[in-house]
Amino acid sequence: MRMRRIGAAAVLALVFVAACDGLPGKPKESDRPLSPWQVKSFTVLFSGNCAGCHGAGGRFGAAYELANPTFQALVDDAALTGIVSQGMAGTAMPPFAHKYGGFLTDAQIGILVDGMRRRWRVGAAPPNAPPLAGGGGDPARGAQVFARSCAPCHGADGEGSPKAPGSIVDPSYLTLVSDDAIRTLIVAGRTDLGHPDWRGYPPGQPLSAQQVADVVAWMAAKRPRFVPGSYARNP
Amino acid sequence: MSLRQIARDVGAWLDHRLGLSGPIIEAAEHPVPRSSASWWYVFGSAAFAVMVLQFITGLCLATVYAPSADRAWQSLLYLNYDQPLGWFIRAMHGWGSNFMIGLVCIHMAQVFLFGAYKYPRELTWVAGVVLLLATLGMAFTGQVLRFDQDAYWGLGIGAAIAGRTPFIGGRVVKMILGGPIIAGETLSRFFTLHVFVIPGLLIAFVGLHLFLVLRLGINEWPMPGRLVKRDTYLAQYHELVSKDGEPFFPFAAQKDLVFIGLIIAALVVTAAVMGPIGPNGEPDPAIIETVPRPDFFFLWLFSVFALLPPWTETFLMLTGPVAAIGLLFLVPFISGTGEKSYRRRPVSVMILVLSFMTIGILIYLGTYSPWSPHMEAWSSVPTPVDYVSGRTPLELQGAVLIQAKQCRNCHALGGQGGMRGPALDRTATRLTPDQIVRQIVQGGGNMPAYGRNLTPAEVNAIVAFLATMHPAHQPPARLAARPQRPEQTDASP
Repeated sequence: MRMRRIGAAAVLALVFVAACDGLPGKPKESDRPLSPWQVKSFTVLFSGNCAGCHGAGGRFGAAYELANPTFQALVDDAALTGIVSQGMAGTAMPPFAHKYGGFLTDAQIGILVDGMRRRWRVGAAPPNAPPLAGGGGDPARGAQVFARSCAPCHGADGEGSPKAPGSIVDPSYLTLVSDDAIRTLIVAGRTDLGHPDWRGYPPGQPLSAQQVADVVAWMAAKRPRFVPGSYARNP
Repeated sequence: MSLRQIARDVGAWLDHRLGLSGPIIEAAEHPVPRSSASWWYVFGSAAFAVMVLQFITGLCLATVYAPSADRAWQSLLYLNYDQPLGWFIRAMHGWGSNFMIGLVCIHMAQVFLFGAYKYPRELTWVAGVVLLLATLGMAFTGQVLRFDQDAYWGLGIGAAIAGRTPFIGGRVVKMILGGPIIAGETLSRFFTLHVFVIPGLLIAFVGLHLFLVLRLGINEWPMPGRLVKRDTYLAQYHELVSKDGEPFFPFAAQKDLVFIGLIIAALVVTAAVMGPIGPNGEPDPAIIETVPRPDFFFLWLFSVFALLPPWTETFLMLTGPVAAIGLLFLVPFISGTGEKSYRRRPVSVMILVLSFMTIGILIYLGTYSPWSPHMEAWSSVPTPVDYVSGRTPLELQGAVLIQAKQCRNCHALGGQGGMRGPALDRTATRLTPDQIVRQIVQGGGNMPAYGRNLTPAEVNAIVAFLATMHPAHQPPARLAARPQRPEQTDASP
């Protein structure tokens, strides 16, 4: 009788010890603390470094929509890596690579770029798409392109309309965005906020590479020549 | 011969030589007042039981733990992830520490409330205060032995406080850390304190505490109007015990045993469900992406230090603890006689309630530490979607800059972000665009001036965005001196 009781207790103890692996308190391998440079998860890296400005899931952020499939189809790995590493001149995008003053290793930037491409590049680049970088536009021709393709929403002089409120030729706005940022917005659009890409307006008449360059030049010409650095009285 | 018979014979053989059974039985069966066999009197024995459990789990951990700066953290990871059931022993020890502090505090509050520290039990209270300090000392040294980022910075703060002592500060720091910085010898010192010195102190004072409880008897249930007088109390107590007494074992002890069982079961379940406490990141002072926090029992001190006006800091940090501990020791000498019942001691009840409320609120504040910026908010907390859609290009740039210039680290949007400054969701109801410009450029009211760090275009964008921050049903603020057309204040340059 006693031996049976001891045996039962031993079996119970064994069951308990065996069940310990499934207890909710047992630390999982994924709980292991990592130093900042050891983080290798795209989700963790993106939500910790990018989501603040670009939005959770790369959409509906204050800054550009990274999950835009047209943008992802047109940009290449090198350009994306360059922007993440070194930041984007003339915009609020800061550098993230260690060697440019950021907090991420090159490997982590690689994981970010790779992860964005994997998730959001759904197809090949559309034919005849204007490039995301370039120059050589003519402001005078740009005014004509603007009147045809942009003014219906942004107003005849770019000061906005009920359809798209707010000026796009506001000197402060133009000071805060670079030509490349404007070009990206015109070419790839913002699907989350309803801005069409280069094919969007008027329907059936996509902008050519030259026309995009011209509109960008027209806007750039309205940018203030002198930009004060700060409010400091004795800079 | 049955097993039971053998055991009985061995016991009799030993007792014939040691002669211990008599005193043990006498102690176990000493009479206690019938009224003391209450569920209110179980916390001390439960704290004792958890302490014994801490000794056992601590012993198990000490067989694996490496008390050296370069291997301590690794050995904790080994316990958590590789050693079979190592995580469970760590969880039992970590949560056991929390349980013990909780039980000691409740026990102390009960003793205070029931006037049990009064004549002739003053020394029992004094030993109890030493035990409280030793328990907190175990908790602090234990937190240091969990050598992670919290431990590293907690120790740094402790050393910095000690370093403020006039004249001998440097020497004190050197004695605590085993050198001018946190290095190899630091951990050896804290290991010695945690494993040898303070446990020795605990055993000695628990012995004294229990000896006094046995010698002086367990406090009777306090009755309003039954006053403690030095010349009559002992006779009254003996009369009470002889008339209405019961043997401690099993009459009173059965409640203790049931409660101890419940506490141990609760501890096992907590450990199994919540798992081990830490370690968090590697204790590398070069890693600044960390938000170090002391364990909860020191969070209230963390809050006090954060909230003290800077000019009082050194004085209060050095005198406050001495005064508080001194006051605790003096309690039985301040009110050693008189009423025991809490029904007739409103000041004592108020002191107790106020102390618990103060410490509770400070712990709550320490958990959120609204005075500390939330350093990752700018890059990890997205702008609420409602604040992004339908905004003009300039306003959208303002929203970007509120992230990129790290405004969110101090100012929340949509309930997320730092709490050091006011939330920005209704800024436009409080300030006109001109006032927002002034606030950003010149700062004020605990906000630094950003005029040198922002360009006029950046300020215009931020202000354009903030000017939209008012609910649809509530108009934006306007200048009282300019009552008409509030929307036409000169926000645009």
